[in-house]
Amino acid sequence: MTGLKKNNIAAIIIAILLIIVSCTPEACFEETVAKVKVPFYLSSTQKAKAPDNLTIYGLNTGTDKIYADSKSVSPAELPLDPSTDNCSFVLVINGVSDTIVVAYDSYPHLISIECGYTYYHTTGVLSYTKNIIDTIIVKNTLVTTGNEENFRILY
Amino acid sequence: MRRISGYCTSILIILLSVSWEASGQTEPPDTVEIPLKIKIGAEVTGPVIYFIDRNNLNVEGFISADLNERYGVFIGGGFSDYKYSQYNYEYLSRGFFIKAGIDINFLRPEKSMGKYWAGAGLRYGLSSFNSEVPFFEYDNYWGSVTSSIPSSAYFGHYLEASPGFRAEMFRNFTMGWSVNIRRLIYSGAGKDLRPIYLPGFGSGSEKVSFGISYFFLWNIPYKKISVIVKKDEPAESEETAIQ
Repeated sequence: MTGLKKNNIAAIIIAILLIIVSCTPEACFEETVAKVKVPFYLSSTQKAKAPDNLTIYGLNTGTDKIYADSKSVSPAELPLDPSTDNCSFVLVINGVSDTIVVAYDSYPHLISIECGYTYYHTTGVLSYTKNIIDTIIVKNTLVTTGNEENFRILY
Repeated sequence: MRRISGYCTSILIILLSVSWEASGQTEPPDTVEIPLKIKIGAEVTGPVIYFIDRNNLNVEGFISADLNERYGVFIGGGFSDYKYSQYNYEYLSRGFFIKAGIDINFLRPEKSMGKYWAGAGLRYGLSSFNSEVPFFEYDNYWGSVTSSIPSSAYFGHYLEASPGFRAEMFRNFTMGWSVNIRRLIYSGAGKDLRPIYLPGFGSGSEKVSFGISYFFLWNIPYKKISVIVKKDEPAESEETAIQ
């Protein structure tokens, strides 16, 4: 039974080392921004079809664009501003502009100890112009860092 | 990965110790006298870590009482003050926990003699704490937002299994250690603001947490019992089989 006593001493050292090592946080590899996921569909065929050319930017955000003359983008991913309760986006689909306005509520969400906190959103009223957009179907009002489709744009 | 390898090392030490203790024993007596004890213990890794990392204080004590040579009842509790900060947020958690359950000694009475214990504890734990995020920063296309989440009270609970060892180092003074595997039942908060740290449990962002405890115990013998030693059945010889 002296073995147990000897093991006790060894266990002290091992325990302290393991606890110190196990408390070291690791890097953040997860998505940290919740975005509205918007796939594109052709209204004529009701089939998924990415625009040939897509530009999206927030209204009154200067020259900073979310997508700039991008090809084969679907779904588009639109971040929302948690410091306000609505966001306006200008979508230029194949050279034709439309504006959509999304109203929403924001609330904090813990991603992980490594990544910290983000904001999730619940979307409300959605309004838009109809220059090239035919319809926007709301599929899911909860905007998270996951891959769920939120709005479906038919153009 | 480092955590997994750490716990594998601990389990290996447990297995080696059992096999070490099992070897080299003499013929056991027919009965052994086992002192039943009330044990008052304190966990020491928490205060030791506090000297290394002033952001995390965890103090824990417990009382356990032997019911017989194999089973004991356990009740423990503690206090935790946890702080964590990194580039994009700061987190505080402070509160108490209590846990209760049983201890099971897997050693044979003639080996344990009331001085040694190699077994497992099974416990149910309750954690009552306040959690706060004094600051967090969020960046996206629209810019940077700095905010906070005010302090709220939470009440979580969990299950714990604690395999480990104890040995009497001096008269009525025991030291021991255990590996603690905990399963969170409920964190006390919704899925959006899961607490990063629950007193008594550990990281609330995980469903399962691991830990190691090292403790000192003061033993108070209160009764002696005689326990019959179960001897291994000798293998049946050829001569016996002929008769």
